[in-house]
Parts: sequence; structure tokens; C-alpha cells
Amino acid sequence: GLKTLHLGSCVITTNLHGIRSGFSEIRDSVQAKDEIIDIRILRKTQSLQGTKPADRCCLLHHILRLYLDRVFKNYQPPDHHIFRKVSRLANSLLTIKKDLRLCHAHMSCPCGEEAAEKYSQILSHFEELPPQAAVVKALGELDILLQWLEEA
Amino acid sequence: DGAAVLPAPQNLSVRSVNMKHVLTWSPVIVPEEIIHYSVEYQGEYESLYMSHIWIPSSWCSPTQRPECDITEDITATVSYSLRVRATLGSLTSAWSTLKHRFNQNSTILTPPRMEITMDGFHLLIKLEDLGPHFEFFVSYWRKEPGAKEHVKVVRPGVLPVYLEMVEPGAAYCVKARTFVKAIGRHSAFSQPECVKVQGEALPL
Repeated sequence: GLKTLHLGSCVITTNLHGIRSGFSEIRDSVQAKDEIIDIRILRKTQSLQGTKPADRCCLLHHILRLYLDRVFKNYQPPDHHIFRKVSRLANSLLTIKKDLRLCHAHMSCPCGEEAAEKYSQILSHFEELPPQAAVVKALGELDILLQWLEEA
Repeated sequence: DGAAVLPAPQNLSVRSVNMKHVLTWSPVIVPEEIIHYSVEYQGEYESLYMSHIWIPSSWCSPTQRPECDITEDITATVSYSLRVRATLGSLTSAWSTLKHRFNQNSTILTPPRMEITMDGFHLLIKLEDLGPHFEFFVSYWRKEPGAKEHVKVVRPGVLPVYLEMVEPGAAYCVKARTFVKAIGRHSAFSQPECVKVQGEALPL
């Protein structure tokens, strides 16, 4: 059902269960294409849980922008079935990002140093990889992002 | 280039009731020929980030009927663009696009159909299964002045539901409404249904 995300003073609800079930339908096929197994883009040291509450909203906002701007957009689905599932994920995460933007408008999504530092680390992990490999790995790591959201 | 020879489908619209969404259009008529249609959609994400990308619908690429169940394609609470074109052999019409984008939060929610039954002195309710999006708020009370109204939340798939023990000779009323979390909306309440319990009222 609906999950309430507590991101500092930004509190939003989202259909996390629906997103998780949508992702689980493609997880194995996406992760199977990730050949770089000894590197992670979303690392524990940059997790939402390891970030002070006030900065969690901003960090998540940046991560979602990375996914929407550079992952979903550049992912090449092998077939229409996967394409529809990825579209569902992209549109669902877009909904979350729109809610975070509302928090931002209401001054409840501040961007502190910690959020900026952790996001730049995530971005560098992403950019260290060849572009298409980074896209595939990041999509497979939605597992991790959803885990962070489930614990938020 | 035969692209524009076939007329494009007209009068596109979406009929959405209880989170079931059907796109309809006026059929393209070519005497003694079978026309096929292809439906494609774009979520808000695709419109914003990759506007040249359209996704073939799950069930109607192609189809022969002038309608398409797009329920499985509308999977997020964002606005969707939809388009249809007609095909006859190698001839293909231009695309027709739905004038107003569709969002599932505009679906019509109807009061649920319900059936009140008794099992001995147990009051039971049976509710229509509207699918995984739906929860039911069931309200029930003893039909007498000042009676307290009880509410029970029933999740999809749990039918029929036991409501409460009843007393012989008393009357009880029940009403229900649906709630869809994904869009944060509920239906109107159904008309109350009342039942009278057999037997003599217990002495006070």
C-alpha cells in the first residue's frame, strides 16, 4: 500500500509496494546484463539512512534526477515488455520527484553539505563507468534505492 | 507513400470506471475491408524526457476493435498521452492523439455492490472484487435510535467478511464504500441495506 517517507521535515507518501512489484518483474533480466560486479554506484556510505535527516530529501532529489535524466533516458530495453515496466518505474519515480519539488518549494528540502558531498560521490561512481554499463548497473541498483526508501 | 491515404481514427476518448481504463474511437470504415488499429502511449516521463518515444500498448498493437483496454499500460498516477492509427495492408493512417492527457486519478469510483447475509447469529457481507487497487470501508449499525456506527476496513481478496454477532429479533444495517490508495480517493457510500434477525427479541 502507500508508504510514508520521512525525509527530515519533508514527508510524502508513495505507492512503494507498486514500484517494488514493478521492478521485481524486470530485476533479474536487468541485473543479468550488469557485467561489472565488483563496483557499486549506490554504496552504504551514501545511503539515506546514513545521512542526517535534514539532508535526506535533497540527496534523494538529486539521486532521482540522476535516474530520470541519465538512467531511464539512456536505457535500451530489449523488448516492449521490459520497456513498459521501465516506463512504469520512471513515471512512478517522477511522481516522487514532483512531491520532493513541492517540499523544496515549501522550504522543507534544504541542501546541506552532506547531501552535496554524498551525491557527488554517487555521481563519480556513476561516471567512472562506461556510459551504457553505468546505466545498466544503476537500473539494477534500483533494488538498493527502493531499500533505502523502504527504510526512510 | 501511402501514409495519409487511410483516414485517421477520430473521436478518441477514455472511459475510466473503478480503475479500468478503456480508450475508444470511431471506427475507420472501408467497405469489405478489415481495418487494424495500433495504440501507443506516453507517460509524463516520456513526454518530458524523451518526447519522440511512444510505447506500444500491451493489448492493442494491433487490434481490430475500435477500443483498447489500457488499464495495464496506465501504471502510475501521472498524465498519459495516447494515440491511435489505422492500418489496412500496407496503408497506414496518420496518428490521432487523445486531445486531453489522461490521469488515472480521474477514474469514476462507483459505490460497491454488496450482499448482506446471516450465518446463524453472524452478520456477513460479501463485496464485489474490484481488483488489487481497492480497499472497502464497511459501516454497520443496529437499527435503533442512537445506535453506534461501526467501521471495518476490508482489503481486496478477503470475501465474505464477518461483521459482528447479532441478536434475535434485532435489525441491522450496512453500507460500504471503496478507497483507492494509489489515487487517494474514495467512492460514495452504497445505499444502506438492512436485515432483520429471526427469532424473538431477548428479554431486557
